[in-house]
Amino acid sequence: MKYDVVIGIEIHCELKTKTKMFSGAPASFGQRANTCVNEIELAHPGTLPALNKTAVRYAIMASTALNMKVDTLVKFDRKNYYYSDLAKGYQITQQFHPIGSDGYLDIETDEGTKRIRIERLHMEEDTAKQYHLDEKTLIDYNRSGTPLVEIVSKPDISSGKEAAAYVSKLRETLFYLGVSDVKMEEGSMRCDVNISLKPAGSPVYGTRVEIKNLNSISNVQKAIDEEIKRHSSVYDAGGSIEQETRRFDEATQTTVSMRKKEGAVDYKYFPEPNIFPIQLDLDWVKSIQDNLPELPDQRRARYMKDYGLGSYDANVLTSNKDLSDFYEEVCKVAKDGKIAANWCISELSGALAKRNETLSTMKLSAVHLGTLVNMILDKEISGKQAKEVFEDVLEGKDPKEVAAAKGMKQVSDSSAILSLINQVLDENPQSIVDFKNGKSRAVGFLVGQVMKKSKGQANPAMTNQLLTEELKKR
Amino acid sequence: MTILEMLKDTAHAEERILEAVQKAHESQKDLNAIVTFIDPAEQIAHLNEHKGGLLEGVPVALKDNVNTKGIKTTASSRILENYIPVFDATIVKKMREAGAVFIAKASMDELAMGGTNTTSVTGPVRNPHNLECMAGGSSGGSAALVAAGVVPMAIGSDTGDSIRKPASFCGVVGFKPTYGRISRYGIIPYSSSLDHVGVFTRSVKDAAVSLEVLAGRDDHDMTSSSLPVEHYLDAVKGDVAGKKIAVLKNVIDAIDDEATLHCFNDVIEGLKAKGAIVDVVEMNEDLLKALLPAYYLIANCEATANHSNLDGIRFGNRVDAETSEEIMIKTRTEGFGPLIRKRFVIGSYGLFWENQEKLFRQAQRVRRLIVEEVSRVLKDYDVYVAPAAPGGAPKLDDTSRDELSDKYLVADNHMILGNFTGYPSITVPMGLSDGMPVGINLTGRAFEESELLNIAQAVEDITGLCDSKVGD
Repeated sequence: MKYDVVIGIEIHCELKTKTKMFSGAPASFGQRANTCVNEIELAHPGTLPALNKTAVRYAIMASTALNMKVDTLVKFDRKNYYYSDLAKGYQITQQFHPIGSDGYLDIETDEGTKRIRIERLHMEEDTAKQYHLDEKTLIDYNRSGTPLVEIVSKPDISSGKEAAAYVSKLRETLFYLGVSDVKMEEGSMRCDVNISLKPAGSPVYGTRVEIKNLNSISNVQKAIDEEIKRHSSVYDAGGSIEQETRRFDEATQTTVSMRKKEGAVDYKYFPEPNIFPIQLDLDWVKSIQDNLPELPDQRRARYMKDYGLGSYDANVLTSNKDLSDFYEEVCKVAKDGKIAANWCISELSGALAKRNETLSTMKLSAVHLGTLVNMILDKEISGKQAKEVFEDVLEGKDPKEVAAAKGMKQVSDSSAILSLINQVLDENPQSIVDFKNGKSRAVGFLVGQVMKKSKGQANPAMTNQLLTEELKKR
Repeated sequence: MTILEMLKDTAHAEERILEAVQKAHESQKDLNAIVTFIDPAEQIAHLNEHKGGLLEGVPVALKDNVNTKGIKTTASSRILENYIPVFDATIVKKMREAGAVFIAKASMDELAMGGTNTTSVTGPVRNPHNLECMAGGSSGGSAALVAAGVVPMAIGSDTGDSIRKPASFCGVVGFKPTYGRISRYGIIPYSSSLDHVGVFTRSVKDAAVSLEVLAGRDDHDMTSSSLPVEHYLDAVKGDVAGKKIAVLKNVIDAIDDEATLHCFNDVIEGLKAKGAIVDVVEMNEDLLKALLPAYYLIANCEATANHSNLDGIRFGNRVDAETSEEIMIKTRTEGFGPLIRKRFVIGSYGLFWENQEKLFRQAQRVRRLIVEEVSRVLKDYDVYVAPAAPGGAPKLDDTSRDELSDKYLVADNHMILGNFTGYPSITVPMGLSDGMPVGINLTGRAFEESELLNIAQAVEDITGLCDSKVGD
């Protein structure tokens, strides 16, 4: 039987603020346990929340980038439940008045562009992290109070691939905004999926299953694909799906049940009395919205227009913001954006992968790479020489100096090249015979010999042309 | 002795502080007003760092819900019996800067819930005027210590009438300014939207001085006001000529104690004689009768969330168990008294989604209507006044009150109006009924503390009950 797949995605994303959502304690990842806390994270009696303005700014940026309406009257609510990772016994969130609502994100699919509507974006605070050992549970409150935005999509997604595209686009957008690290593996971005299947065309939704804590985009896709298979086979066999929460098991690459739904939990939401509704200054909001950093789609379009890149190259570059930022620095020097892109995409990316390094760990300077590109364009050195020079450029050296030190220069003087060609032809009579007998490979061999004699400095294109002409004369 | 008198003679500050400590210890057997005694030696050693401060060398008692770094703060609850705060409340820093010396943490109703100060884990506080009577609550320990002359100033908190009622019962001034005028950071809460910090003193002028120290914006409390702090004392002239004063008819009608009414009328006649324009004003009786039920809902709903942090995981009196969930359940079951548990159940019930609209949200709508009603009266009057209580302090073993009577609903609880509105409100002694003090309550417009204190001074001038001694 054919089924319609209905998927909605909830993303929790930690904001990259210096301090916590409601306290001045530092918000940072990977610190020694329970060092990034003060009395507020630990919910000592008498503490009160003081809202982080930067978190509000980031939430406005994210809402705007996701094409959402921004509610300029900011209100918070309490979500009440007892759990040992929740120090106050309630979480301060925005249940009734999310700061962002009614947005969308366009994703690319095989059938073209698809619009995924986004229902809401709200601010809240993260909980502490628990470590359950055999004998005891340890609690690290460093994460407690870290600013979060929760972004809830409409159920507009209909495959694992679309879901992956949506999460990926969202992730890229938030990263470009600079509001979050969006590191799924470190938990600064977390993804929950709601999925149900219904007979194709049916107006009645099927039973919904939630898959929690997917920690990579590929797992989002895998988990959904697995879940679609599971639902389909259950329905095909005449069975029914239970409403439950599942997780993706990496070892078996399947989803497994975490808990059955036992009636909805009553969180007893009510307005947070310690934070009065805050009317944001409309000029402030507007200045944030008018000064958003460039978003990936805008940057792609600019690369295609300004640098003449194809959509593939533009995509490859922009999908890695660090590389893309670096590329733009290279282009400030390089006279040809296309060649600069080739170097960034193939040589540079390859070198980084080979060395298992990132741009930030390398000494490489964008100005040097730009200079290198220009040296090729100006025929100062050959492409082959450039690759050799690049090895030193990666170590932070100036390509001009490297080329000079290595005695490299490209010989484009035809009489000099011609003299070398004649020497080589005199030394290799057999090759001339081969050429006459139609073995075109002989040309390659002879060009190689010329290059060798010139210590790689002969302009390869000129050498090729002149050699062919000389061969015909002989 | 008042604060102002002490400030005239700062040379003898140390003596007076030690005398206060001695009196505090002596009072304990009778009053049981203190949870923790603070050795002032270190503070005395640093006294000269605060020369010229508005509270230089003044011994002060703090209600035991005021966080003091390194000094046990229990809120008179078993669950916090061993709790030592890691930070000072903002007002503690402000008072210390002004030269105050803290000598005691005063008993209170458990977690500030109650009006009797009989629910403290350390036992009931007794009234200095008659040890068989209650001091009132929830700030009963603070009221009793000021009334007994142990300290000239004590901090209290007021969510329903927890400063202004015990002030009436103990015969001292009890003052809570406008919501947001004093930071709540570091005060163990009861109900966030109703909680006020305030002060007990032995004169209206002392209340004015105290306010200047305590008031001001605190970035740790987003509900605190940025309005400038005034020199309140300058305004306290007792000049009421042409001032418009409303007498709350509903409260008067619900009181049957002749002596209380007599004291009240004497004050009113005195105010008239000083040139005040006094009218009897009636508020909507239905709204006044809805005051207490709406209060209980809002306060208990907020309280059940506010105290969810008391789970034994990070601090407090943990009761060990197998799982963290069991720890929380056992700690809370053993840590809270029966009244607290009852209030949490009510609060939780009022917040359930199926009840919230008709209980908690409805109570908030009632609150809004009541605020509008009070604002209507204060549009035409500078203050409204009424007896702070229907009579003197009840006996500790008195269980006769009828909680559904007009007397209880209106006369005993009308001061909740000051918490619903957040308007500044003060109780000033006005005389005795059957040997026990009774007070008059005055409430003014938001952030018009200067005017309220000025009119309260006129009352004090009329009664002559400034710095009065127990038994006078």
